Amino acid sequence: MNWDGIINSTLRGFFGIDAVYFALAAIGLNLQFGYTGLLNFGQAAFLACGAYGVGMATFYFGVSMWWGIAFGLGFSVLLGLLMGVPTLRLRADYLAMVTISIAEVVRLFVRSQTFRNVFGGADGISDFSAAYRRLSPFHPSRGYGLGPFQYDDATRRILLSLLWLGLAVLVGVAAARSRRVRERGPQVQRIVGVGATIVTVLVMLWVLDRLRYSGYTMWTLTIGWILVAVLAVFLWLLMRSPFGRVLKAIREDEDAVRSLGKSVYSYKMQALIMGGVMAMLGGVVRALDRGSVQPDNYGRDVTFYIMTALVLGGLATVTGSIVGPMLFWAVLVFTDSFLNEVVGSDGVWEVGGITLIENVTQIGQIRFALVGLALMLLMILRPQGLFGNRKEMALDGR
Amino acid sequence: MLNARRLLALVPMALAVVIGSSGQDAGAQASTCEGPGVAPRVQMQTVEDGRTVREPIPGIEFVVTTPDGEEIGRATTDDTGVALICLPSRSDYVLTLQEDSLPEDVEINGATEVTLNENSFATNIRRLNFFSGESGRTELSFFEKLAQRTVDGIRLGLIIAITSVGLSLIFGTTGLTNFAHGELVTFGALMVYLFSETMGLPLTVGTALAVIVGGIFGWVLDSGLFAPLRRRGMGLVSQMIVTVGLGILLRNVYLFQFGGDFRFLRAYNSQRAWDLGPVAITPRDFTVTMLSLLVLVLVALALQKTRLGKATRAVSDNGELASATGINTARIIRLVWIAGGALAALGGVFRGLDEGINPDMGTALLFLMFAGVTLGGLGSAYGALVGGFVVGLLVEVSTLFGVPAELKSVPAIVVLVLVLLLRPQGILGQRQRVG
Repeated sequence: MNWDGIINSTLRGFFGIDAVYFALAAIGLNLQFGYTGLLNFGQAAFLACGAYGVGMATFYFGVSMWWGIAFGLGFSVLLGLLMGVPTLRLRADYLAMVTISIAEVVRLFVRSQTFRNVFGGADGISDFSAAYRRLSPFHPSRGYGLGPFQYDDATRRILLSLLWLGLAVLVGVAAARSRRVRERGPQVQRIVGVGATIVTVLVMLWVLDRLRYSGYTMWTLTIGWILVAVLAVFLWLLMRSPFGRVLKAIREDEDAVRSLGKSVYSYKMQALIMGGVMAMLGGVVRALDRGSVQPDNYGRDVTFYIMTALVLGGLATVTGSIVGPMLFWAVLVFTDSFLNEVVGSDGVWEVGGITLIENVTQIGQIRFALVGLALMLLMILRPQGLFGNRKEMALDGR
Repeated sequence: MLNARRLLALVPMALAVVIGSSGQDAGAQASTCEGPGVAPRVQMQTVEDGRTVREPIPGIEFVVTTPDGEEIGRATTDDTGVALICLPSRSDYVLTLQEDSLPEDVEINGATEVTLNENSFATNIRRLNFFSGESGRTELSFFEKLAQRTVDGIRLGLIIAITSVGLSLIFGTTGLTNFAHGELVTFGALMVYLFSETMGLPLTVGTALAVIVGGIFGWVLDSGLFAPLRRRGMGLVSQMIVTVGLGILLRNVYLFQFGGDFRFLRAYNSQRAWDLGPVAITPRDFTVTMLSLLVLVLVALALQKTRLGKATRAVSDNGELASATGINTARIIRLVWIAGGALAALGGVFRGLDEGINPDMGTALLFLMFAGVTLGGLGSAYGALVGGFVVGLLVEVSTLFGVPAELKSVPAIVVLVLVLLLRPQGILGQRQRVG
């Protein structure tokens, strides 16, 4: 078994573009569901808004690709209004039913033969990201690594070292400031902080030099992770602002907020649209990277996978909405490469005369069956996920 | 497999209808394609003594191209008037009848060019009919089309009504919106396939077994999963996410076990349709419609007249009050899950007879069920019956008013949104559940 290959692809999955767009969508979903309590089951449609925004800019509107972001913004605001107006005054499950249904309508429309000249039908739209690729500072045919020791020139080594060291320190600080550690006093805090930083540096030394990406991927990853960081900081600040406190209060007790004279409806609507716009950016990143959009990549299951990734990381935590998608994709990629190694080239896995896997497509089904199982088990056994606080998981209020 | 076709009938009258020889011919043809294919058939129609007589026209050439005009294959109709062109995959194609291959004085009624898309392959071989000459059927008036669509719509509406009762009652008694309800429908269809096709049991027996197994499945889901969660005091929103996970799990298990292709129940598959005035309906579809109606009436009577039915409505109305009057709420909820699972399975069998079986079929119906249940009033069993029926009818009839077939479930979701805007409690729901 090629463990080296499995580990490398798992690590690439951990930092990869799928993790980026999932993280962007998960940050949005976190704002909607984790903080405000809005059960949005249509996040895939917001991703589609962004992806089709950039796709349609050249294909249908015939303008520069960059207008696509503006179109995406317009689409997601419209979609948010469409989903929110009928449901935000009603109970949570109505929003869930309507969002999942409207997302399905969006998918049906964009893949329909009838509107083929607008959305490109079942094949979608392709070849539109040349302008985006021209901006890339990375050489398309060269491979790029994330580790500082892969480079010879001193500036890159120092910059990358500083970046990763800074991240390690951040992890250390976060660990030291976490609730359980804080309760045990400053002595323990110092030890945990320094320990976590050193462990992170060691892990990075082992991990980073295994990662290599092509020039285009590297370009999207740079843009994507910067965007993730910006939105994460924005969400963190937002939730400490008066606005964010109202959102959390709505999650806890809508009537109490209403009795204080706040317009719950308007706050909910803003949260729904804001979260949708964040997911829309995820769609833009993904579409630009691939240079194509296909309607079936925005089906309802995508929403549920994003939900699973978010629950895995921890609802109502900023860290959770970033680390959750990274882990989600690492595990998905791991099971994929692991099972592919197990079945080998003939695609069959037999144990003791019983055929467990007949063909390669079954591997994908096993992976996603595991996703479903993971979502159930997480909700039952550890609803706060990896980083969440059980007390903040007040989903039961409504 | 043969005995499944030969044995037994749902109703004696189905026996009277011999499985059409034309269907078998076409079946023999079908074996010549490994993957998907398209089989156009050209017939000349004449009206004799008020009956339509059809004769095959051989020697007509058909060409299949991609939408971009690239040729995929061509074939000429044989003595049965059928041409068969094998296709590399289920995707978008244009089938064109070469008009210069038509004999003189023969003209084709309607279009000679047909666009196929991925979804139009209900079976592996897509059959298309081209007619020449006159007949009562070639030029359908709007009224006739409306009548035909209405009959189809009634059938779909009844199926949605059957499957929605469980969804609505589970909501009514526990407050839980079950996002895995579509998978219960698929379960029934896959089970009848297992019993009737794989194991070769007669369709009636297979259906009965599928319904029983569906009920057991509902019971397992309640006692094994949701009852313990309720006892732990898990919140409804969390439970709802558990049903989402359950749906993903089940759908992928189905895919793993059965693969993603459409499968068909062969029993009563190729019957000749009855001409009932403006509408044509096969005896099988007629039987399915009547059985659906019967089941719905029985469900309504059971809810209205029996002790358990009354108790169910009481729990659904107000669980605490019902509990205070001595009704065993947990038992009623268990009953609702069993009945819901069995009815969903029955709906799945009927839907499978109609449209074929695949692991995604139930989820595709889920949106229509949501629309139906909301229209009728979430939590009300009668509401689910009425709402589901209306939605099914609307979906089929909407295609007459300019809604493309591929978008025909859109009007249902428009109804969902409109109901929530105008009367969120639905037709028969209670106001206090809404806000």
